Amino acid sequence: MANSAHDERFERLMVPHLDAAYTLAFWLTRNEAQAEDAVQEAFLRAFRFFGSFHGEDGRPWLLKIVRNACYELLEHERAAGATEELDEQLHRPDSAAPGAVLVFPVNPEAAVIERADRELVHRCLRALPADFREALVLRELHGCTYREIAAISGIPVGTVMSRLARGRRLLQYRLLDQMKLEGTGT
Amino acid sequence: MNCPETTRLLNPYVDGELDLTASIAIEEHVEGCVRCGAALRGLQATRAAIGRHCEFRSAPESLASRVRAASVAREQASGWRAALRSPLAVAAPGVAALLLASWLALSEVLMREAPSAGPTRVVYHISNSSNAGAALRNLNNHLQAAPGVKVVVVAHNDGVDFLLRGARDESNRPYEAAVKSFRERGVEFRVCNNTLVRRQIPASEVLSEAVLVPSGIAEIGRLQSREGYAYMRL
Repeated sequence: MANSAHDERFERLMVPHLDAAYTLAFWLTRNEAQAEDAVQEAFLRAFRFFGSFHGEDGRPWLLKIVRNACYELLEHERAAGATEELDEQLHRPDSAAPGAVLVFPVNPEAAVIERADRELVHRCLRALPADFREALVLRELHGCTYREIAAISGIPVGTVMSRLARGRRLLQYRLLDQMKLEGTGT
Repeated sequence: MNCPETTRLLNPYVDGELDLTASIAIEEHVEGCVRCGAALRGLQATRAAIGRHCEFRSAPESLASRVRAASVAREQASGWRAALRSPLAVAAPGVAALLLASWLALSEVLMREAPSAGPTRVVYHISNSSNAGAALRNLNNHLQAAPGVKVVVVAHNDGVDFLLRGARDESNRPYEAAVKSFRERGVEFRVCNNTLVRRQIPASEVLSEAVLVPSGIAEIGRLQSREGYAYMRL
């Protein structure tokens, strides 16, 4: 394993994506310490299994490992009773009726959303169900294509599309709700 | 295109996942439909809110240094794993310092830029610094002729020289001032780290206005194929 071509390739294809890995881990775990643990574990695994990677674009491959490491870590902590559950169980994507028609608000009040501040946007994004949050972060922060998200998350492209649509709709509703609650929306 | 179809395709539309025909059909429908137009603006506002407030995060230095240090610990079979596990990983100092500077600068490059919308994007490829003076004059003309154009200059091979400290042009004027002024006008300079390593140039020699990328060629390929940049070799 300790041949320098292998290591050089790893350094070239994987290490530059450290921040991408950390950004994804942060939004999946919603916790800096856990994100760090997950990324460290992911890099260990990536190095171990790097021999099976033959492409030139290391980012989706690495992000898939990061994603899996995050969910395993969260599952582990949940089993140990250490992680508080946010409200995401109430909004599991699976609970939505299959094939439910996407209905956008008639008046989306785009101008209201534009006034949402950083704290509110973070709070609403953090509160999104994990599946939606994962798709949104990969699309909006990492700039992944639908195909890349499908590969990273291990789901069909059609599911990527519906997760993004539902995730954005939910985020939009929540931003509007909160803006109204805070009396800044009118 | 009717309302249900438009609603279904609005997300792939804003994500640039539709072909030109479908995109045009959506645009035509949205122009004449108040409801779908409002839906589109809501969607765009939501995306913009994320874009504005949820930036790419830099890995904490403690984690980054463990990963970096491990990546240069080539000699030991278990170098990677041992270094990753150790909170106080120590690497070969010279190489580690070089890499440290490289990866710090690199984070900026990993920031995403929206692929399809926005200004014209052009990547200037400079592989020989004897052309750098002419290239920068062209660049200046380009910026004047096309205000708002987004230009990234990628330097590789002998093209990196003009971005090193103390470099001067054919009239003995320092490049640094010109680079600074272009930087202020939004031009980005990216330097090939493979070239630096091969030519044993320390990253500290590179002007602070420029950032390092792992490979200049790979960066040009990425900009062209992933971010819609036009290519110009000078």
